[in-house]
Amino acid sequence: MQKTKSMLFHAQFLFTLLVCAFLIVPVVQSVVAGLTENFIMGVKSGLTLRWFVQVWSLYRDTIFLSILIALTCLAVTLILGVPAAYAMVKKQNRWTRLFEELLVTPLAVPGLAIALALIINYGGFTGFRTSWIFILVGHVIFTLPFMVRSVIAIMNSVSLKEFEEGAASLGAGFWQRFFQVVIPNALPGILAGSLMVFTLSIGEFNLTWMLHTPMTKTLPVGLADSYASMRLEIGSAYTIIFFLMIIPLLIAMQWVAKPRQREFVMEKSHAATGATVLRPIAAASCSPDQKEGGRKLSGTALRLVNCAKTFVDGTRALEPFNLKVEAGETVVILGPSGCGKTTLLRIIAGLESPDSDGRVYFGEDDVTDVPIEKRNVGMVFQSYALFPNMTVAENIAYGLKVRGIEAAPRHQRVSEMLDMMKIGQLQNRHIDQLSGGQKQRVALARAIAVRPKVLLLDEPLTALDAKLRDLLRVEIDSLLRSLGITAIYVTHDQSEAMALGDRIVVMNTARVAQVGSPREIYFEPQTRFVAEFIGTINRLKGRLQEDRLVFPGGSIPLPASSAVRAGENGNVELFFRPEHAALVEFGQGHLHATVVASFFMGDRTRVIIEGSSDDYLTIETKGIQSFKKGQRVEVAIDPGALLRLDS
Amino acid sequence: MQKRNNWLLLALFAPAFAVFVAFFLLPLARLAFASAMGPSGFKIYLAAITTPRYLETLVYTILLSAGVTLVTLVISGIVGVFLTRNEFRGKSLLVSMLTFPLAFPGVVVGFMIILLVGRQGLMGDITKLLTGEKLVLAYSMAGLFLGYLYFSIPRTITTIMASAEKIDRSLEEAARSLGASPWRVVKDVLIPALVPGLISSGAICFATSMGAFGTAFTLATNIDVLPILIYTEFTLIANIAMAAALSIVLGLITWMALSVARAAAGNSVAAAG
Ligand SMILES: Nc1ncnc2c1ncn2[C@@H]1O[C@H](COP(=O)(O)OP(=O)(O)OP(=O)(O)O)[C@@H](O)[C@H]1O
Ligand SMILES: [Mg+2]
Repeated sequence: MQKTKSMLFHAQFLFTLLVCAFLIVPVVQSVVAGLTENFIMGVKSGLTLRWFVQVWSLYRDTIFLSILIALTCLAVTLILGVPAAYAMVKKQNRWTRLFEELLVTPLAVPGLAIALALIINYGGFTGFRTSWIFILVGHVIFTLPFMVRSVIAIMNSVSLKEFEEGAASLGAGFWQRFFQVVIPNALPGILAGSLMVFTLSIGEFNLTWMLHTPMTKTLPVGLADSYASMRLEIGSAYTIIFFLMIIPLLIAMQWVAKPRQREFVMEKSHAATGATVLRPIAAASCSPDQKEGGRKLSGTALRLVNCAKTFVDGTRALEPFNLKVEAGETVVILGPSGCGKTTLLRIIAGLESPDSDGRVYFGEDDVTDVPIEKRNVGMVFQSYALFPNMTVAENIAYGLKVRGIEAAPRHQRVSEMLDMMKIGQLQNRHIDQLSGGQKQRVALARAIAVRPKVLLLDEPLTALDAKLRDLLRVEIDSLLRSLGITAIYVTHDQSEAMALGDRIVVMNTARVAQVGSPREIYFEPQTRFVAEFIGTINRLKGRLQEDRLVFPGGSIPLPASSAVRAGENGNVELFFRPEHAALVEFGQGHLHATVVASFFMGDRTRVIIEGSSDDYLTIETKGIQSFKKGQRVEVAIDPGALLRLDS
Repeated sequence: MQKRNNWLLLALFAPAFAVFVAFFLLPLARLAFASAMGPSGFKIYLAAITTPRYLETLVYTILLSAGVTLVTLVISGIVGVFLTRNEFRGKSLLVSMLTFPLAFPGVVVGFMIILLVGRQGLMGDITKLLTGEKLVLAYSMAGLFLGYLYFSIPRTITTIMASAEKIDRSLEEAARSLGASPWRVVKDVLIPALVPGLISSGAICFATSMGAFGTAFTLATNIDVLPILIYTEFTLIANIAMAAALSIVLGLITWMALSVARAAAGNSVAAAG
């Protein structure tokens, strides 16, 4: 905004005022005319309500009929339009798309043509033709597209799919999801559509003029009659009544359209603790019945047999996949983006079904054909999928409510969860009043409140900043351990995987690359992919000479146990981790190299060196020594830590 | 569960579809059928676009609607962008006044025009004071033009304001930081960003003008527009076949305008309606 308004501003402002005058002056004229004795004489002739009385006696019925038709039309479009819009958003196929296309046509086809078509087709049914229902039909056809489009727009803009999946993971069936999640979240769109439909119906003239009979006159038809009678005062008074009817509707429309933000209520505890809103959750404070049984109490073993997934578009997101998870175990699925982690998790959850050969077992039960809402899983979504139409406490209670748990035990369970996650002070907040970390806790609380057989977490920490991620990682770890719940945790962050997993499943493009404990994965990677994906790995490339590997910068004795064979052309590749090498005094190491760069990391220094093979090597040292570029160093490698890896 | 859900979704979808077919598609098909059921069969379409009276009306209506669309876009473009880009006191009142006529049916718009430029209208009084001649526009092409402007401007302003609000402010700031003058910013950033919105609201404006009936009906002008012609063919002359044929011609023109705009502006046209 400019401080001093420019010429341009004033010119535009004047222009806008002129346009406004063009639109509003006649409105004012009509208001004046409707209230004065004589239009030609103007206000001097005196003010009167005479014309209103006349309008009331002459045209009262049209007003009632218009309201009746508009209300019925609204009800019908709601009943027809909202479910249809939902179906069209959910199910994108040829038919729904065709219908969506068709729905635009009533906007393109003039009302007159629609009316003519209705008369030609149904005019023969005299009873129908002469009743107001006939007009209603026209209005429904005319307004239905507005309702459907408004609802579709809102359903597409809120992340409906996530909310629904969230509700389904908590056990809500189709209708529960529809009425408790879909409708409340689509409410702004439904409201906007309703106002639109009502206003359009009240003012509809093109269709109505053709469809009306002397017995069924609506307000605009009456207006046309009154204008034709050439008595400006009566026409004006009647028009004022029309204005009075639509003004509240227009105000309501503006109010609905305005984006609103809930106020961020700062509670006292909040303001006091300042930025440290998140207090660590104490794992010990979880409900006693769970604590005692140790690890194997609430979990179920899980088995995937031959679960492949091919999407309709032919994408092979998962090759046949086998996995066994013990009860109470935490398994981390780790892999680069797009390798099929989410797909795998969704198959376990029941949000996707595997290709026909695949089976999913919870314990001994084959749950492949059981929908998610019957599987009793807890799910934490990457974007949390918390219901914005409910408070924190209501969100946590939702799964319990769906399961028909009575109010008293439900409240107790909810407050247990709130205590456990240390979010009691937030219980009455709405979701958009929470920080990322708080949302994360609510999502966790909601998922475990139902005591799921399996807890599924899809990159639950990626939306958070690094510091908070570390904090919550520790918390989730102690939580999972103390609950003894079977958990599948998806991530692409290797440190998260190392910290949390009893076992890690490393995935690479739709397949398992390796399964093992964090230590196994780290120290005994079976492929180069795994070695490179987890941590840093260095490569030595050289030739075998007796029991030594010789490479440009030096040589190293091979461990006796390792059966290293030379590949074609006698080349051998061996790998080692940075921490298995050290910078040593000259003459004591295995290779000479030159420093390329060094990074001081606080507790250690990471040195990048070159000279011994095609690649740079990364070495870590603990000392306080600093390094310069070009400096000569000597490196000793622990021969026992050398790895041979298939590429 | 996939299967069961599909059935449930179908059940949700079916009622609306059935109503739509029964009360829109079927009657429209009958209308098309009825147009060809007259004595001249399909030749009636030839008659509809060659008979001078019909042709003249058709051309008038198209020219009128196109002209209205153009003027509306210019006016609403200026006003809409001005309103989104500037904050001043009384702005929300101004916006409410500009969008108030949004909900007026055509008849009321016609009445507003009569009050403004009719026989006893304000314009007449003013011109009489100034020149001694009473200027009456309401019952001519000019009156229709004003009437169509009256109902088009509020709608178009709202859609243009909505699309102007979506334009990334930093684009303009970037252009300014690179030294572009205000006019250059308008030409190089603002208008290109607004084009889809302009096309779609223009198409809707054109389509509504083509089909507008109430305004012309109230003004009872000496120039027929297509909807009035259809109406008189149907009710006064009872030439149902011709009325049907003309409706279909009218429907095709508006439908075509919307489709072309949709193709040109992406998918947003229908949504703007
Ligand atoms: N509904 C779908 N239709 C078609 N292809 C899909 C669908 N969902 C996922 N895919 C594809 O399947 C593959 C695996 O996707 P998935 O979401 O499981 O990856 P991810 O490992 O979770 O990745 P990220 O770490 O990025 O979340 C990707 O190539 C993806 O494009
Ligand atoms: Mg994923």
